[in-house]
Amino acid sequence: MAEYTTANSLPPGIAERLRGHRVTRSMRRRSRVFTDTTDFTAIDYGDVIVVDERYFLVVAYTKEGRFGVDEQIKPWVPKVEELATGEKKILKLVFHETFDITLGPFTIPCYRHPEKEARVLELVRGHSHFMQGEAALDGAGNLVRILDIINGSRLDKFIHRSGAPLEEYFHHELPAILTQFLECLQAISFLHSHGFRHGDIRRDHILVERGSGLYRWIDFDYDFYLPERPFALDLYELGNILMYLTVRGNFYPRDIAADPALGRRVLDTIGPGDYSLLSKNRIVNLKKLFPFIPMELNNIFLHFSQGTEVFYETVDELHDDLAAALATMDHGDTGGGR
Amino acid sequence: MNDWKRILIAVDNTPTSRKAIRYAANIIGRLEEARIHLLHIYPEPPPGYYSSGRSLDDYVEEKDREGGDIFADAVLTLQEAGITEQTITTECRMAEHRTISQTILAVQKEGRYGTIVVGKRGVSKAEEFLFGSISNALLHHGRDVAIWVVG
Repeated sequence: MAEYTTANSLPPGIAERLRGHRVTRSMRRRSRVFTDTTDFTAIDYGDVIVVDERYFLVVAYTKEGRFGVDEQIKPWVPKVEELATGEKKILKLVFHETFDITLGPFTIPCYRHPEKEARVLELVRGHSHFMQGEAALDGAGNLVRILDIINGSRLDKFIHRSGAPLEEYFHHELPAILTQFLECLQAISFLHSHGFRHGDIRRDHILVERGSGLYRWIDFDYDFYLPERPFALDLYELGNILMYLTVRGNFYPRDIAADPALGRRVLDTIGPGDYSLLSKNRIVNLKKLFPFIPMELNNIFLHFSQGTEVFYETVDELHDDLAAALATMDHGDTGGGR
Repeated sequence: MNDWKRILIAVDNTPTSRKAIRYAANIIGRLEEARIHLLHIYPEPPPGYYSSGRSLDDYVEEKDREGGDIFADAVLTLQEAGITEQTITTECRMAEHRTISQTILAVQKEGRYGTIVVGKRGVSKAEEFLFGSISNALLHHGRDVAIWVVG
């Protein structure tokens, strides 16, 4: 059972702000004050978390959905308001979790690593392509991360906003998107050069900041165990995002068969080497589906195919190839297949 | 170029490693003045290792013990090929903040070994991408050294 105190334990100014807050005014119970976040499931809406003599009122919880799965509340990631300043923040409480992820026939040991996220936050302080925040210990020594909120939208939703047909999107919207994505690649290269992995690269882990339009990486607390190829999974996921951005989706045989513009005629041209290296059913030789994709860009995708003879060793290699491909995109290369 | 008769054999407990040792033993056994360094490199502890209450010392001890067994087996194979124990040294080391292949190359450089012997597993492209191939990494990044890859 988690221990807590009442609001009487708060400094008078903070207690007064708590009493007058819209959240507590609407509550039927009294707020509790937690200095120990070990049992984060005991903490609820309207409670106060104390970290490093700062007082955070829980006003909501973050949610996360795996693609195709309903969003689920993350009780270890409350949205809070700092009572002294009124500033909105996100707290990330310590949640140790070790699990295996499956990629094709392989399993990779993954784990949450609060210390790593704290160190990354320190490393990227002031870097415009990463979320910002700091880490502090609660009363029980748990490393709580106090994160600034990024006001913006998920990149994977942002790219669908215009609703333009794919080819129009490709020619008129994608170059600007890839220009920003290049900076995201440089940001990950920066992490790798300091020995850190992002650990959970996904298309919804880049937020497009409203106003500035900056693309910013979020969520660094996952890590994985690949001793000989420590950055391989980050690289693979960067390739996946790049392909998703290019054609606004992932393509599987059933999608192609069902699409009147593609159908069996195109599906019959797809060979084993055109599929993803690790997601065996996903097509990465996208030029066979969409001939308007320039060869230079498609060649990047093929580095992630079963047919590849060479892999990217570093994010810089991927970055440089994408920069070169982007330079050709204005020319509207519509050349043949592989 | 370092002296090629200063030979570093990277070993582990796989059949391909034992095959590489037998192959190297047959060649080195005919040489004069060869010096052999058996090297076993192991990765840092996996996630969750410490949460089971074990320490880094426990891990190193466990890996050193495994390394000792691997060396005993390898020394026997080398002796059977006529190589004297006095010409063989052993080293067991954790790959700290480095990959296994980077650590092998660091030892090679430190010890000025002119030859590296390593076994090659047959791995798929996908396996190589995710988990790496030590022999390929050595071939790719090795400098001033002959590399014998035994498949």
